Amino acid sequence: MRKKNWYLTIGIVLTACMLIFIAVGFFWTPYAPSAMSAGDRNGRPSLRHLFGCDSFGRDVFSRTLEGAGSTLTIALAVLAVGAVCGLVIGALCGYYGGAADALIMRLCDAVAAFPSVLLAMVVLAVTGPGKYNVIGALGVLFIPSFARLVRGEFLKYRDRDFVQSARLMGVSDLRIIFVHILPNIWPVLLSGLTIGFNNAVLAEASMSYLGIGVSAQEPSLGYMLKDAQGYFFTLPWCTAFPAAVVILLILGVGLLGEGIRERMGVAS
Amino acid sequence: MSDPIVRVRNLSSWYGKGRERKQVLRDVSVELAPGEVLGIVGESGSGKTTLAKCVLGMVTDITGELTVNSRRPQMVFQDPYGSLNPAKTVGWILEEPLRAAGVKDKNQRRKKVAELLPLVGLEEEHLNRKPAQLSGGQRQRVAIAAALIQGSRLIVLDEPVSALDVTLQAQILRLLAELKERLGLSYLFISHDLAVVYQLCDRVAVMTGGEIVEMGDVDEIYDHPKHPYTKKLLDASLALD
Repeated sequence: MRKKNWYLTIGIVLTACMLIFIAVGFFWTPYAPSAMSAGDRNGRPSLRHLFGCDSFGRDVFSRTLEGAGSTLTIALAVLAVGAVCGLVIGALCGYYGGAADALIMRLCDAVAAFPSVLLAMVVLAVTGPGKYNVIGALGVLFIPSFARLVRGEFLKYRDRDFVQSARLMGVSDLRIIFVHILPNIWPVLLSGLTIGFNNAVLAEASMSYLGIGVSAQEPSLGYMLKDAQGYFFTLPWCTAFPAAVVILLILGVGLLGEGIRERMGVAS
Repeated sequence: MSDPIVRVRNLSSWYGKGRERKQVLRDVSVELAPGEVLGIVGESGSGKTTLAKCVLGMVTDITGELTVNSRRPQMVFQDPYGSLNPAKTVGWILEEPLRAAGVKDKNQRRKKVAELLPLVGLEEEHLNRKPAQLSGGQRQRVAIAAALIQGSRLIVLDEPVSALDVTLQAQILRLLAELKERLGLSYLFISHDLAVVYQLCDRVAVMTGGEIVEMGDVDEIYDHPKHPYTKKLLDASLALD
């Protein structure tokens, strides 16, 4: 009998809960996230303010909802840029090989040799902070890891009999790449995407925490943590709740990825 | 006599580039008549698969003369587990060659697949399955159907039965012989198994070290081998039987 895949189950449940939580934040928050209420300044978590209030009297629950939404948006956009470009580059490099492949892969090595957050800091120091600059800078830095992953898989498949057979039948190269081979690497890609997503969340949070990420008008979770660190001991709820959301989101998606990998291992 | 479907004259071929360049075929000359089955036997590394790949146009580093009078010759591979796309259904795999050949109409493709299925001993219900849900013999039937569906007259069979157990071997060999008669096919049959070659082939070419050392009718080669390598091969196979 097959062992129950707890990673997958817990991962799906946790990720779904977090996504619902964040999705709610897009449409509804109990208070306006930036509305200040003098009477509730430094208020502890209560029924009126589930996550308490910060030193300006802003509702931490509402701000967390909004911040999580902005963190998720940025992470997904970064992932989309990195994964799509990485997929195309990796697929072409892996399938065709040759000198262009060697050149592009050395370029990826060079980019990957630097810690991505450090490199993103350099880019943002030049372009200035802001949501789209963060997405662009991180997105580009996420390309090498995806390109490498996808390239490895294509290398594995390009000389398989079913690919040779498709060539003999006159199927075009692009169709072989995206219709014949790609569906076979979905499981690997999917688990790569979950790791990438977590890295993107963390990278965005750390950059905002360092003050080079999003602007104050669209606070993300990392930005909230930066704001609240001065009150770590007096108003612990201001850091605890945004941090908990980051941790649970990453845990959920991480478990999901692990579950997918485990399931794949069983299948093959 | 009609024109041969494959004519190979003084064909040499190489793998690799620069200093690594290694000659795999030396001055090979072979002809295959329409409706004929030519067996190519030899141990691994003798160049038999390379010869087949040359005929299919998969090897480009060649010298000599090579004429193939068949549209898109196809190949049936040894391992039926690797030659079918694991992510696709049998129906999709069988329709794909038609898509590649430019048959845009879905119903026309389905009809053609449905016509071919009984010929290779498959049923409609197999169409919705993935290769992983089929047995080795069924997979090889799918691979044969996929090779036939574009209407190719020349099929290269690269050890098509050596991954199957003996009863299945006999079934698939019978199927191949039937298909040959019914559709007027020519086979280039690559094998190291002399018993299997004897069952299906009209003529045999014995290869070693990238050269054809002996070629002739099956009976003649099996009864009166001339080249020492052929004798060695026959002895080895008799010793096993």
